[in-house]
Amino acid sequence: MILLDILKRTLRVAKAFAIKSPATKDIRFEAMHNPSRYRGEHKINYETCIGCDSCNKICPTGAITMKKLPFKKQNIVPEVNLSVCVFCGLCEDVCPTKPEKSIVLSGGRYDMLTGGWHKDQQDFWENVDIPQSYIDARLEKEEAARVKKELLAKKKAAELEANKEVTQ
Amino acid sequence: MNKIRNILEDFDCEYIENYKRVWLKTKLSSKDDLLNVAQKLKIEGLSSLSTVSPTDFLEENIMEINYFFEDLDTKRNLWLKVDLPRDEKLCEIESLTPLFPSANWHEREAFSMFGVRFLNHPDLRDIIKSKDFEGVYPFRLDFDWETHEKDIVNNMNKIVSSFKKEQEENEVDLDTDSSETILNWGPTHPASGPIRLRVHCDGEDIINIDPDIGYVWRALEHLVTKKDFIGAIVSVERLCFMDNINSMVGYAMAVEEIAGVEITPFAKWMRVLLGEVARISSHFMGLGGFFNNMGLHTLAMWNMDTREFFLDFLESYSGARIATASVEPGGVRYGLDMTMFDELQKALDKFDTTIDEVEAIFVNNPTMKLRANNVGVLSADEIYKYGLSGIVARASGVKTDIRIDEPYAAYDELDLKYITQENGSAKDRFVMIFEELKHSVDIIKQAKAHIQKAVDNKEMDPTKDHLVKVPKKLPKGEAISRVEWARGEVLMHLVTQEKATSPYRLKMRAPSFNHTMMLNHLLKGQTLSDIPLIFGSLYVCQGDLDR
Repeated sequence: MILLDILKRTLRVAKAFAIKSPATKDIRFEAMHNPSRYRGEHKINYETCIGCDSCNKICPTGAITMKKLPFKKQNIVPEVNLSVCVFCGLCEDVCPTKPEKSIVLSGGRYDMLTGGWHKDQQDFWENVDIPQSYIDARLEKEEAARVKKELLAKKKAAELEANKEVTQ
Repeated sequence: MNKIRNILEDFDCEYIENYKRVWLKTKLSSKDDLLNVAQKLKIEGLSSLSTVSPTDFLEENIMEINYFFEDLDTKRNLWLKVDLPRDEKLCEIESLTPLFPSANWHEREAFSMFGVRFLNHPDLRDIIKSKDFEGVYPFRLDFDWETHEKDIVNNMNKIVSSFKKEQEENEVDLDTDSSETILNWGPTHPASGPIRLRVHCDGEDIINIDPDIGYVWRALEHLVTKKDFIGAIVSVERLCFMDNINSMVGYAMAVEEIAGVEITPFAKWMRVLLGEVARISSHFMGLGGFFNNMGLHTLAMWNMDTREFFLDFLESYSGARIATASVEPGGVRYGLDMTMFDELQKALDKFDTTIDEVEAIFVNNPTMKLRANNVGVLSADEIYKYGLSGIVARASGVKTDIRIDEPYAAYDELDLKYITQENGSAKDRFVMIFEELKHSVDIIKQAKAHIQKAVDNKEMDPTKDHLVKVPKKLPKGEAISRVEWARGEVLMHLVTQEKATSPYRLKMRAPSFNHTMMLNHLLKGQTLSDIPLIFGSLYVCQGDLDR
């Protein structure tokens, strides 16, 4: 009798496995609604950024600081403090680079601050890590451009002088 | 309008001019005339004083006070200015509170923020700002915020001791033989939100209520002046998250007026559409909040379910569910992808399938009707007297709705009607929100159909028409704009200087400020159990209460 009772109960509970759960997504890893315009974590492209400082100027909360780079031109790049940022997306709006913006929030991660999935819970900065090779390449390019310019200037000066001599 | 002009012409005015369709703008030469003018205006029918807004002109050494008088019946409004000397000792003017009770807290706010003293004000105390600001006026332009922050740290003990002193005084002033006591309702009460009501009660009978507000004061009106015209929307939308779009619309309209920019029809219609979606999301919270305060949480949960679908649309459009920042001077921030309308349609369908059930179970709820029918009754006269607006005003049968009275965006092309209730009790205000909700859905359907049709006919380009350029530097000027917000009338008064890159002064008149002012009036003589019910029915949001 008891056995039958246990069997009945087990069967009753086991039915639950046959019913499909209404919750089908684990929202910790996948958003229920994830539109392409969703304003999440910033993606900063240091290669296209021209260092115009407009994102820093428009930021209503002062979340952006400009990181100094060792170049002569385009020598600043934005870094965002995510704990101050209100994700209004105005920095993306004003970014003048085309066709792709250099600072982009749209389509950013949605699970940023939910805990446990961020790279480092203590670090709420969107840093720009530039590889040394890129810096070297840029510096080299700059140096090359400088040398080329100098040479050109010298050549021009020499030409001018030559012209002067001719006219004299 | 001519009658008001005639009244003003009897006094010494610097100018009297028409402003927009329903406003008259004037400046009194002498502050001594104010009381006499106000008296005559009140007899003429301008019985509500919307707000009192000082503007601090540091260079001219002038404190300019702006009064906004409104007549809710005939829709005639008056914008009256008076100059005061800026010096703290001389900066005083007759109070209008004895004539217009609605001025009470607005004058207290002007006193606490700008140090304008109002003579013969019945109760001129600090409001909003906390004890560490005592004796200083944070919105004056020469106020030093950095020194103040250091002062707070240094004087922490003094600030704390003043709070303790208040507690002791509470006990001393009371009659020890009776059962009189002072209770704090909030800020940690489940129904209160960040507001504290000092309830002086005898047993459970309320003798007096003194609301203590300012728990979420962010000095938005000051923050705006530190940002450029576009960045300011982030501050303006934080007036209240529940209906953030309409507050941005109001601000954007004021900027566009000064800049002399006309926005595209598509942007106008989008403002209507987005504004109504935000209004719906606010009303859902309001309905739920009312029943929450009565102790039943089911309606709030059901509402949240439907509200999610509307928020999904906002998220698809702007990229954020709540803090959308999606309206900026010059139009709306994003273009529209027509597939987003499918999402909106989903929300509308969900609304249509669930709303009848809500109506049957909650709006026609016999227990709710018994409990709330004769509680917190506001008569139409009180609405005029205390300058109430929005849901609260219409629940008492007053026909006022900025969307119809002074149409903005594309509201003049829509089919709108005044929705009113008769008795002005807590129940009527609840039913009012529900009826408004249905009306808003109706407006959304109209706007959606219009945009769809215009896009199909190639009259509008949803990807390009959304924004026109507003110059970065604005000329000197000032403008006011009014919008019908979810909770009532929001009036924005924007002042700019020559070649301005940021607002010089932005006054935001928030409806909850007036509505909270009514608490003492409504609850005096009632019992403690009525506090959550009446507070919930007034549809107050602490965000726009404190700003």
